[in-house]
Amino acid sequence: MKAGLNLIEASELLANNETSSVELTKIYLDNINKGEELNCYNTISSEEALKAAESSDKRRKEKKSKSRFDGIPIGIKDLFCTKNIKTTASSKILSSFVPTYESTASQNCINAGLISLGKLNCDEFAMGSTNKTSYFGSVINPWKSKNSDANLVPGGSSGGSAAAVAADLCIASLGTDTGGSIRQPASFTGTVGLKPTYGRVSRWGIVAFASSLDQAGPITKTVEDSAALFEIISGHDSKDSTSSIKQKENFYDNLNSSVKGIKVGIPKEFKSDDLPVSTQKAWDDCKKLLQENGAELIDISLPHTMDALPTYYIIAPAEASSNLARYDGVKYGIRENAKNLIEMYEETRSIGFGDEVKRRILIGTYVLSSGYYDAYYIKAQKVRSLIKSDYNEAFKRVDAILTPSTPSTAFEIENEPKDPVQTYLNDIFTVPVNLAGIPAISVPFANDENNLPIGLQLITNSFEEQKLLNIAKNVQDTINYAPNLDKWWIK
Amino acid sequence: MEFDKDSLLKLGKLSKIKIDEDKLSSLSTDLGSILKFIDRLQSIETDNVDPTSNSLDQSLVMRDDIALDENSATEILENAPEKELDFFSVPKVIE
Amino acid sequence: MIDGWELVIGIEIHAQVKSNSKLFSSSSTDFGSGPNSQVSLVDAAMPGMLPVINKFCVEQAVRSGIGLNAKINNKSIFDRKNYFYQDLPQGYQISQFKDPIVGNGFIDIVLDDQTKRIGIERLHLEQDAGKSLHDQDPNLTFVDLNRSGIALMEIVSNPDMSSADEAVEYVKKVRSILRYLDTCDGNMEQGSLRADVNVSVNKPGDELGTRCEIKNLNSFKYIHSAIIYEAKRQIKLIESGESINQETRLYNIDTGETRSMRSKEDAHDYRYFPDPDLLPLEIEDKWIEKIKSTIPELPDQKKNRFIKDYNLNEYDAGVIVSDKATSDYYEKVVKNRSPKLVTTWVTSELFSILNKKNLTIDESPVSHDKLGELIDNIESGKVSNRLAKDIFEEMCETGKSPSDIISEKGLSQISDEGELEKLVNDVLSANPENVEKYKNGKDKLFSFFVGEAMKLSKGKANPKILNELLKSKLNT
Repeated sequence: MKAGLNLIEASELLANNETSSVELTKIYLDNINKGEELNCYNTISSEEALKAAESSDKRRKEKKSKSRFDGIPIGIKDLFCTKNIKTTASSKILSSFVPTYESTASQNCINAGLISLGKLNCDEFAMGSTNKTSYFGSVINPWKSKNSDANLVPGGSSGGSAAAVAADLCIASLGTDTGGSIRQPASFTGTVGLKPTYGRVSRWGIVAFASSLDQAGPITKTVEDSAALFEIISGHDSKDSTSSIKQKENFYDNLNSSVKGIKVGIPKEFKSDDLPVSTQKAWDDCKKLLQENGAELIDISLPHTMDALPTYYIIAPAEASSNLARYDGVKYGIRENAKNLIEMYEETRSIGFGDEVKRRILIGTYVLSSGYYDAYYIKAQKVRSLIKSDYNEAFKRVDAILTPSTPSTAFEIENEPKDPVQTYLNDIFTVPVNLAGIPAISVPFANDENNLPIGLQLITNSFEEQKLLNIAKNVQDTINYAPNLDKWWIK
Repeated sequence: MEFDKDSLLKLGKLSKIKIDEDKLSSLSTDLGSILKFIDRLQSIETDNVDPTSNSLDQSLVMRDDIALDENSATEILENAPEKELDFFSVPKVIE
Repeated sequence: MIDGWELVIGIEIHAQVKSNSKLFSSSSTDFGSGPNSQVSLVDAAMPGMLPVINKFCVEQAVRSGIGLNAKINNKSIFDRKNYFYQDLPQGYQISQFKDPIVGNGFIDIVLDDQTKRIGIERLHLEQDAGKSLHDQDPNLTFVDLNRSGIALMEIVSNPDMSSADEAVEYVKKVRSILRYLDTCDGNMEQGSLRADVNVSVNKPGDELGTRCEIKNLNSFKYIHSAIIYEAKRQIKLIESGESINQETRLYNIDTGETRSMRSKEDAHDYRYFPDPDLLPLEIEDKWIEKIKSTIPELPDQKKNRFIKDYNLNEYDAGVIVSDKATSDYYEKVVKNRSPKLVTTWVTSELFSILNKKNLTIDESPVSHDKLGELIDNIESGKVSNRLAKDIFEEMCETGKSPSDIISEKGLSQISDEGELEKLVNDVLSANPENVEKYKNGKDKLFSFFVGEAMKLSKGKANPKILNELLKSKLNT
């Protein structure tokens, strides 16, 4: 069996009886074991996974498979509450929390017969773009620079989800994206990461970071896998008031990679002299590719692009400061004993939260506080409207927008930026999309001069994921990106 | 730009996060930097713009008034750090 | 006015919405269940949980708004009110701040035959908090989240009241309207309706004083005493040269005093912002009209109708309509019967039994048809009013119908002239000296003869006929 299967390949092998779910699951559990150094998993559910695999094989024998992907092992970001399986949000404060309920998105996976290998490491409470803020330690990018042995960040916050797929520690994974947390790590690890339209995937049971921005999505090896997994997890959920009532679509079956007549917008505000040469080249090559395939390139302007990041760093922390107020040591999670209630709150939260989370809670509290609310929070919500209308205007002229996913490729873990804002700049290309609530995908395009993956981002209007996936498939099929990843961690 | 320390301590009180003396200075610098970064928005013209609090263009879906007995006290208290009988317990509060 | 000072009072009423399930979750709202047995994952604010609004609670709020003569807003927003408290599992309360579901309205209260209009600023929906028990353990506070998430309607009045009496009348009226609408059961003892009262004092002509809020008053008596105590406390402070701190206070029902709430001493910055887990609430005019058509006759309308149709006076009408169940009872009894008689029987006899036994009209030992039957017997002359009172007492004790009691005890009134004439003759012949004295001018003795005849007839003599017969016999 070839190493590094994708969802479609695995489903075919299972259908042809060339492998079993138990065999697949064992292989990936073994991969996880060998890849311990990468620190992708917070919790490995070997027992549960094997049991589920056995059930899957039984179903297949009885021709009662739940879906064409029944029995395939995946990983789930440790932000999705999984019933009876520890769910920590990579935080000390939830380090021993075991939910009695299953998130809708992961339940949809169970309903399709997918097997969870365990919970994937991430930045604490999804706050970060390096996976360095996890209470359980950094995730190491399976990719290494050609010229250095230094460990690199996988990106974040879904660092574990992206690294695990790239390193074959699972066939596909679920992540979440609030400001780029699926697309940025996908770009850093040579995988495909999709952030659906806000409201496509239910948020019920996902530990909330920024409620109006969070969206769950798949991280996979291919665009086809992305379409398939997205189809499985999406759909209206009446338990989530922000869940779209739009009907689910057959994203996988309806994939069509023709881009003839498709208009692709190139936003001038994403151009910069700071962009690495290889990233600029990848972007240019992709433009040419699409043109050759029949698409039309159109120059567009998204005037408020540079305002998106500060806007995000007002809205996201504000919502987070409120969403994280429930972690108070009363109902669940850790509690630090103290002589009175206030001290208990303060000790618990000070010890339970890491530095980045605390910074964001404090900033969030500040921008909502009396005297600053109008100047910051309301202002940011207004700029958000302007950003959304930039995209509305653009989509009157184009079908999709093409940009780089990230302003750099993966960098060293040891790189400690002097101030937090430098880290925030990792999200500069991805954040506007979350603010506008529209879908976007990162597709691996080429490697840079250090053999590190470069991802390109495609963006379409709300609820046009089919178009998005189609164009992404066109790029993928044309460029045939083959990750030449050296599995250095396997001695 | 530094974030003034008194404001910082007040924010800590509001958000129930203890800020240690030795962290005060670095936190103040970090937050000051973030503040400077987000201040950029002040120069943007937004006079006739409505704020967006959620990008989903949909009306609020409402549910029927049916009482469901979904979770037992045992389940709800399962993860409680401290409990007594069927109550959550916390250090005594004097109102 | 108190001691030359004017009072300015504003009231925030928190009324629990009568519904099967909570505002944003499907847990039951029943009172008195085992601790934490009516708590869902959403109520306990588990990670990843989200609110979904109860349509019926929205309807109840609209209905209440209509009953309060208020504007129903087509669009309203839910905001988060952020603060930490052990019975607030989310660390915030979902409430409404800038854009409430219901806007300006008013109600009229009547005090000493004067009608006063009290303005209502708004009504909004919000989540109730859980309950904290501080007295179960020396070192711990226990938390029960059953109440957490139940829908509350917060009704905010304008500061239009100027006395404790007006304040109580206002709360009584609002409670009555909500009970008429069946949007809240108004059970103050159980906490389904409670009031936060804002009080300030000022000398006539001066600016408004600093106000203090007294929280969680759950009886009319406490509302009244708390206002008086607080006004006097403020007056005393000002007169001794001190200023009033704007603060939140609690009323101690044992001492009758208010004291500052320790936990609220630090000024709260609630950092209200629109809840990003919810979208704006849109209420179409069509729906509002539909709800309007389900509004029953409200107290003021009913009172005016009762005064007109049944010739009741303002006071009696007010008393009867203050409670819907009472007015329903009354109307059933008064159908085809003399309103005057029915009113007397309901407001004195029935009410006094209910008060004595501490029962509500729904728990009345005498049903409306049985009372009606008794009144029929009075009107037909079968029993005297006096006798009816005895029968009524027995009806309360035994639950028997008046007809059964009357026939069992042979209590029918004697109206047969022949029989009565014989009675009168017996009385007169048994008391010849008094007859002589009466004929010689001692008119007062007439009542003696009446009394003797009544005694002889065991109270069953028809008084009217008896009187006529006695008069005719004595005046010959």
